[in-house]
Amino acid sequence: MIRLDNVTKIYKGETRAVDGVSLDIKKGEFVFLVGESGSGKSTMLRLVTAEESATEGRVHVAGKDLTRISSWRVPYLRRNIGSVFQDFKLLPQKTVYENVGFALEVIGRPKNIVTTQVPAILDLVGLSHKQKSFPDELSGGEQQRVSIARAFVNRPLILLADEPTGNLDPNTAQEIMRLLDRINRTGTTVVMATHDQRIVDQMRRRVIALHAGQVVRDEQQGVYE
Amino acid sequence: MVRFLSRAGYFVRETWINVRRNLTLTVAAILTVAVGVMLVGLGLMARYASANALGRWQGGVQFEIFLEPNIAGGQIDALGEELRNHPDVERIQYITQEQAFAVLEEMLVDEPELLGEVSIESLPSSYRVVPRFAEGELIESLAAQFRQRPGVYSVETGRQQVDAIREWFNSFRWIVLLMSIVLAAASALLIFNMIRVAMFARRREIEVMKLVGATNSFIRLPFILEGMLHGLAGGIVGAVAAGVLRNHVEELFGRSEILAFFRSFTVTSSQFNTATIATVAMGVIVGALGSAFAAGRFLDV
Repeated sequence: MIRLDNVTKIYKGETRAVDGVSLDIKKGEFVFLVGESGSGKSTMLRLVTAEESATEGRVHVAGKDLTRISSWRVPYLRRNIGSVFQDFKLLPQKTVYENVGFALEVIGRPKNIVTTQVPAILDLVGLSHKQKSFPDELSGGEQQRVSIARAFVNRPLILLADEPTGNLDPNTAQEIMRLLDRINRTGTTVVMATHDQRIVDQMRRRVIALHAGQVVRDEQQGVYE
Repeated sequence: MVRFLSRAGYFVRETWINVRRNLTLTVAAILTVAVGVMLVGLGLMARYASANALGRWQGGVQFEIFLEPNIAGGQIDALGEELRNHPDVERIQYITQEQAFAVLEEMLVDEPELLGEVSIESLPSSYRVVPRFAEGELIESLAAQFRQRPGVYSVETGRQQVDAIREWFNSFRWIVLLMSIVLAAASALLIFNMIRVAMFARRREIEVMKLVGATNSFIRLPFILEGMLHGLAGGIVGAVAAGVLRNHVEELFGRSEILAFFRSFTVTSSQFNTATIATVAMGVIVGALGSAFAAGRFLDV
């Protein structure tokens, strides 16, 4: 589903954010990307969404070679990828329902799809009763669930999560992990960059550890360290 | 088409939100567009009016053969006979010295001291000649045939005057054109900036849209529509202003004796409609250009 062949990303001609990384993530896998800040986790996710392009090497996502993809196709690629962030990136002036519906609306999905899919996904994340609330009326965990609903409402093949539990307390983080696990069980490939040792150790999934832009460890059912 | 219609609601809503958000800037942009396209409209109408007026003069233009004041009566009659029998001459009119003085008297009604310097005897009598055809070149050559005749003081065709007026109108048109280009550029820049501000205000939404895979054209369209809407509003205001000014000026020309000369400067209603449509279209084009440029520039994938 995601394959990196000897990928290097150099920022402004000097910083090697990702340095000669090769890895292969299969459909339906759940992968933790671990490593300290600046180890290249976020850059790797941005390479997958084509927000950054590789300086060297090849990036394949959902069967597409991103080094060769034309820029007008990038949006269509992104429809196969849901993204979740530490800071949620919800739109404050839109309700929960509108925030999720927006993701379908702006890719041109017809209204009847929006009116059936949005309640279904809000039910999945357990926020049906809050659909008329605004983001600032929700707790951090609830906001993150809205952002996961938005990322998943279009049923993408891949879900990328960049420190999704970074702003949350341990119990709330657990809830979010249960939700991501549930999404993974529907066949969605989940890649999660994290610092959260407890979660990684508890989930026992594939762990790819990065240091200075290089893969230093890649284990099935691994732990944080 | 069906897909587009299903999105139409989205575009209308988003565009409206943008317009409301920046009311002062919106008004500034609309007014600048309005003044700019109003000049375009007026320039266009002036062009039509001058073409109409010049056409009329050229069509019915006469030339006038001024005779020496001391010309013998026989010479006058002979010349008149020759003119009447000339195949290229439609008709002629003889203006006596008394009639010429009467015309002058009328012109100098406010300056009697000037009139005092002139005596009837010092004025030339003349033949006004209406040729059978209206082309300036041919009138000129016909007039030239009489220039060297004995007893002829001078021959004046309308051509010099028509040329002078045409020249005056041409330079007027250039000035208007230049001013409207400057104002169109200013309005496009204002709209450009406004769209930039609007896009900055909505950068979070744009970020999310890009994230979930909205196409660039989908993201840009509401902003371009917004720019076009401003252009349209400015165009309509400008066209109305140009129309009001046109009526005012035509009324002024029609009423004033001094400006009687300008009476033939009128615009037909079909020309007025063309100018109005061009004015509004100009506004929309300016708006589309400014906003499309901004939307293209401030949306990096």
